[in-house]
Amino acid sequence: MCSMKPIIHFEDVSKAFSGVKRHRITKVFKKYLSSNGSDSGRYFALREINLDVLRGDKIALIGSNGSGKTTLLKLTAGLYRPTRGRIDIDGRMLLLRGVGTGMVDELSVADNIYLYGIIYGMERSRIQEHFDEVLQWGELTEFASAELRTLSSGMRARLAFSLTRHFDTDIFLLDEAFAVGDKDFREKYEEVFRSQKDGNRTYLIATHDLEFARLFCAKTIWLHKGRLMAFGETEKVLQQYIAPKHAILAR
Amino acid sequence: MLGFAWSFLHPVIMLGLMFILFSARLGQGIDHYAIYLLIGLVQFSHFSSSTNRSMHVLISMRSLTSDAIFPKELLVIGSVIADVIELFAAMVVCVTFAKLSGVDLSWAVFALPYVFLLQLMLVLWVSLCLSCLYVFVRDMTYVYQAFTRLLLFATPIFYAPSFLEKGAAQYIVWLNPLAHLVGFSRSVILDGQLFPLHQSILFFAINLVLLYGSIKMFRKYEPIFAEYV
Repeated sequence: MCSMKPIIHFEDVSKAFSGVKRHRITKVFKKYLSSNGSDSGRYFALREINLDVLRGDKIALIGSNGSGKTTLLKLTAGLYRPTRGRIDIDGRMLLLRGVGTGMVDELSVADNIYLYGIIYGMERSRIQEHFDEVLQWGELTEFASAELRTLSSGMRARLAFSLTRHFDTDIFLLDEAFAVGDKDFREKYEEVFRSQKDGNRTYLIATHDLEFARLFCAKTIWLHKGRLMAFGETEKVLQQYIAPKHAILAR
Repeated sequence: MLGFAWSFLHPVIMLGLMFILFSARLGQGIDHYAIYLLIGLVQFSHFSSSTNRSMHVLISMRSLTSDAIFPKELLVIGSVIADVIELFAAMVVCVTFAKLSGVDLSWAVFALPYVFLLQLMLVLWVSLCLSCLYVFVRDMTYVYQAFTRLLLFATPIFYAPSFLEKGAAQYIVWLNPLAHLVGFSRSVILDGQLFPLHQSILFFAINLVLLYGSIKMFRKYEPIFAEYV
């Protein structure tokens, strides 16, 4: 089933950001006039990351805020370019950040299903085919014609996630995407992930939810201040993560 | 409340004001001066509002620009196309008013969709360049505002091109693509004549090249948009 060629390959990847965003004309000019290229605010969000992800891997991405989880996902997605190093991707992918990115408050729930689906590469006919089921799963059938802004954040999460289940791609990059919602919703989405556990799709999921990582991800990546601290079996990595001092000293 | 009518309100107010101010002198010798003004205003306001809206689209749809994987030029193209519908409706109003006020319409009116196409190309490449630039330089809002003010006067909206003295003034207007487009529309609606074909083909060719160039440029910078929005 799985060929051994990695579906995601990072080779010595580093990513630096400029500390100042040059948004004013005068600043842009100054940059070119000074021309020595010095950039005092520059900092590295990721340093020398080497990584091989195999097809079908379900990987949790853990680490404190600012550790580089989102940067790693965005580099994989091609939304950032690496400052150094090389990234090879062998498949189609989707990045999901936040709940319902691209949905429009002023449109109805039904219109948003189409909009959201199309943004994430679903064909119109496929959306049509799953339309009723999407509403049913999200328990939103009676809200189909309501404007999106009248929905609570939990309802939005249900709507977005319900449609996400039908997205068809090789690699899913999730960034704390569904951290909202009540206990019932959580049970429902855990059920969906459980059914995916042995599938051929590859998941890279940034999360602070260690229980979720244990439940769904066989492997875990731990990032700390832009460095890869550990990558391997979830239980082992979590043990290191929970006793961080130990791990940092050992390194 | 007014919905679609809002898009006509601005040109109509401008039309009223300009007609009162200019019809006695600048409008002398121009038949159907009100329609003449209306055509110029409709095309100018479409150009300025559409490019302005598209310039901001990558930032106003920040979450899509920075978090979704798809060709970002679609955001700009979508914004431009949404505004073309208004231009189309406004031009239908122009032609209707022309007919009502006694203009002798000819078959040349059917060349208007071609003028739309030319205007669409112009708006599209300008929008692609502006939206790309705006990601990196937010001051563009003010620079472009000043530019469109100047453009209002450099486009023969309330005066005839022949009104200008030979020299710099004529040269500036000749360089202004919008001046040519407004001329094309007036020719087919008011004069009942097709515009010079070679001129429109040259216009098409130049704008096609610029459109191609702007798409190239946009794609070149697209991979770093997410870092700057």
